[in-house]
Amino acid sequence: MKLSCLQENLDRGLNVVGRAVAVRTTLPITNNVLLATDKSRLKLSATNLEMAISCWIGAKVEEEGAITVPARLLSEFISSLPSEKVDINLSPQTKTLGLKCARFEARISGVDAKDFPPIPRVEGGIATKVEVEALRQAIGQVAFAAATEESRPVLTGVDAEFDGDTLTLAAADGFRLAVYKLPLAQAVSQKTEVIIPARTLAELNRLMADQEEAVEITVNPEKGQALFRLKDIELVSQLIQGSFPNYSQLIPKKFNTKAVISVADFLRATKTASIFARDGSGIVRLVVAPGGEMTPGKVTVSARSEEIGDDVGDIDAMVEGEEAKIAFNGKYLTDVLSVLHEAQVALETTNPSSPGVLKPVGSDNYIHVVMPMFVQW
Amino acid sequence: MPIKALAPQVVARIAAGEVVERPASVVKELVENSLDAGATQISVEVGGGGVSLIKVTDNGAGIPSEEVELAFERYATSKIGDLDDLESISSLGFRGEALSSITAVAQVDMTTCADGEKVATHLGLEDGAIASRSTKGRSQGTTVTVLNLFRKIPARLKFLKSIATENSHIANVVSQYALAFPEVKFSLSLDGRVALRTPGSGKLLDSVAEVYGAEIAGNMIELKGEATIPRVTGMVGLPRVSRSGWGYLSFFINRRWVNSRMLARAVEEAYHGLLMVGRHPVAVIDILLPAQDVDVNIHPTKSEVKFANERAVFSAVYRTVRQALAGQTPVPHVEAANKPVFSSVVRESASPTYVGAGADLSFPPLTSAAALPVLRVLGQLDNSYIIAEGPDGLYLIDQHAAHERVLFERIERQRAQREIEVQGLLEPMPLEVSPRQEAELWSHYQELAEFGFAIEPFGGKTFLVRAVPAIVHDRDWAGMLRELLDSLSEGDKSNWAETVIITMACHSAVRAGQALTDSEMRELVRQLEQAATPHTCPHGRPTMIHLSYGQLKKDFGRT
Ligand SMILES: Nc1ncnc2c1ncn2[C@@H]1O[C@H](COP(=O)(O)OP(=O)(O)OP(=O)(O)O)[C@@H](O)[C@H]1O
Ligand SMILES: [Mg+2]
Repeated sequence: MKLSCLQENLDRGLNVVGRAVAVRTTLPITNNVLLATDKSRLKLSATNLEMAISCWIGAKVEEEGAITVPARLLSEFISSLPSEKVDINLSPQTKTLGLKCARFEARISGVDAKDFPPIPRVEGGIATKVEVEALRQAIGQVAFAAATEESRPVLTGVDAEFDGDTLTLAAADGFRLAVYKLPLAQAVSQKTEVIIPARTLAELNRLMADQEEAVEITVNPEKGQALFRLKDIELVSQLIQGSFPNYSQLIPKKFNTKAVISVADFLRATKTASIFARDGSGIVRLVVAPGGEMTPGKVTVSARSEEIGDDVGDIDAMVEGEEAKIAFNGKYLTDVLSVLHEAQVALETTNPSSPGVLKPVGSDNYIHVVMPMFVQW
Repeated sequence: MPIKALAPQVVARIAAGEVVERPASVVKELVENSLDAGATQISVEVGGGGVSLIKVTDNGAGIPSEEVELAFERYATSKIGDLDDLESISSLGFRGEALSSITAVAQVDMTTCADGEKVATHLGLEDGAIASRSTKGRSQGTTVTVLNLFRKIPARLKFLKSIATENSHIANVVSQYALAFPEVKFSLSLDGRVALRTPGSGKLLDSVAEVYGAEIAGNMIELKGEATIPRVTGMVGLPRVSRSGWGYLSFFINRRWVNSRMLARAVEEAYHGLLMVGRHPVAVIDILLPAQDVDVNIHPTKSEVKFANERAVFSAVYRTVRQALAGQTPVPHVEAANKPVFSSVVRESASPTYVGAGADLSFPPLTSAAALPVLRVLGQLDNSYIIAEGPDGLYLIDQHAAHERVLFERIERQRAQREIEVQGLLEPMPLEVSPRQEAELWSHYQELAEFGFAIEPFGGKTFLVRAVPAIVHDRDWAGMLRELLDSLSEGDKSNWAETVIITMACHSAVRAGQALTDSEMRELVRQLEQAATPHTCPHGRPTMIHLSYGQLKKDFGRT
């Protein structure tokens, strides 16, 4: 293998695939990055067996070949180089990768590319396209609601339902549920439901940050893996096997009280209250009071801590229905409020021990359900 | 063999066997007699493990010349008169049995001089009968000499252990009474060697220092017994001077030394969560209560008692000790003169005997109630320990143990105030349990509600969980519940509530190996500073190791 490429391209490529490099692993080669010539480009790949990322960068290939080298080492070396041309030369006998850039030179001993875990090919099944912006927002508003605790693996994933020209993403951790509907740029022929690890989607969101073209999504017929293709980047993710809870029945169909409030005010009041709630599990209490003839309605956000004291904040609200009291884990509120793009949110409640529902005002594609905490009033 | 009445000598010897089990029993009876006689100085000399010689000399009231013979008669006593007196015994002796029992199994000499008498009476007894009587010169008080114990009872002699063992039993008896009567000057010599000498200053700490040494004495805290009935006074050791055996627990009822598993349990309970498994506290406890509330006449050696209201005594002891431990106002520190090096700090902390060694190492000295100084976090070691700087040196804090302590106290407090934080489940979760767990869950699922678990039977081995304690909501609470049910079904149920709290705290605490941000570490240390008992985790392991500047100086040879 013999080629040359630009330092900044190589550096960026290593950064892209770096997130898929295994951190703690029983398979040492997954600490390595695979370098392989691919026609007139250099392909970089890394995998932690749950997800694999490949990235192509422009190169002048003189001799084809492939090798794997320790990812961190290579990436640290490359990032310290000046932004000039990097000459890469593999000596096949010793499996040593020679790197030359300006007046710097390094030799890194590698492991045969044949030993690198094969990255699954994802073809057949369904194939579709989604606009980057829509997908980024959907993932941003859904993925955080997945469980981080692993005792119920399906809940660590995001349920993705492809149906006609609609994609529905849903995540739940047993205490909250987030559901987002977005259009597919290319309809699917067959309704398909898969569970994608939330961690993979978070990585995908990071990779999409500087992308503009629509994302291609392919799910293989066995529903074992999904492929997300971006410009010069491919992410292949294992899918979580199992069946996702039937969440539509968890969304309350009616409410007794509805308060429309400013997202920014609600977020600020909740954050402040959370400071006072931090010695416990972060209980934030809400009292929703309807307005009178002359006075506006309001939502009182409060928290108390034995050690620090307590905090009470009022927010103006448009209240429909009766007075309501409900307590939530403050983190669950700030999590959702900080990802909403709309100016106002509607909070719908039935009683202190039934789930509360948050819906952004002005768009009907997102719904967030939170189970309250049970407290003495 | 035809039935016939036993000869009086045989009867006496059988009866004596009950009172006089071993040489230490003789010492106990004689010392009790001296104390009953109001002595302020008691000296005990022992030879050959007590078999060849026991000599107890006191400066008590003495026995008037004309009553000396009576003292040796069975059931002759000056201490109680009628049946009513038996109901309210305030002296240590009351049966009039001890001296006669001893004379049945040994050769006894007594020299005694009562108040106002010019000469002392000397009486010599052999085989339970008076062999000689004469007068002698001595000041007021009594000397009893017991020679050749059990010589006539080879079976009993054979049953005795080594001289060293018998000596240690004797030393224990004298030590116990030295602890119970700090105002009495005790001395004990074993084969001519002084084994114990107390100053008789009236201060319990002085007796403790003589009996247990400076290290323990330096770590004793006083019990502030409220003037209640029963009233509990004495001293207990800080958790860091725990012992591997039960031998450091002394109980006195109205200053009578007694053995009581119930009292031992009360103390052990009070230390719960402060000591590691297998470690036991040091305690010297006197319980004062009206004589009619306690029956001391249930065992031949008077070492066991029965309380009219056992629960009241138990809870008084538990409460008093617990309070003292929570307050932790230590008595002035007695410097232990040893010279540890840093490597021993590490070794000490790894072994279960970390509590034993030099004053500088184990826990930081407790100076006031919530006694953690303000700490400045320096960093994290091995993703498991927080390194912090205090005004008096370096602190290494075990992040998991420290967090467990913080959470344990939080859960305990929330439960006491019925304010456990409960997180509802969006959808009730079925919990499948094993048959053994099922039995446990059936008997406890309602009580688990107190801790925030809303669980209801759902038929068969399935239960429905509707809500969980907020503290564990983002953990594997189902796994935690199963583990809890297992430990409840194996373990001791008397303390199940604590088992629940410990399990919850353990499961929600940060793990070792978890990287923490600076602000997380600062927050944890801040919360630990506010804990009531910051130095140990609920399992009794230490949460921190302290390395003082003095220690650092010493180890770097800067002094
Ligand atoms: N050291 C002593 N000083 C003064 N009087 C003594 C002393 N030892 C014994 N006596 C007297 O001898 C009596 C008999 O003693 P003894 O120990 O046999 O019986 P007790 O102490 O009355 O009861 P118990 O059998 O429960 O010990 C005592 O009641 C006491 O009057
Ligand atoms: Mg007596």
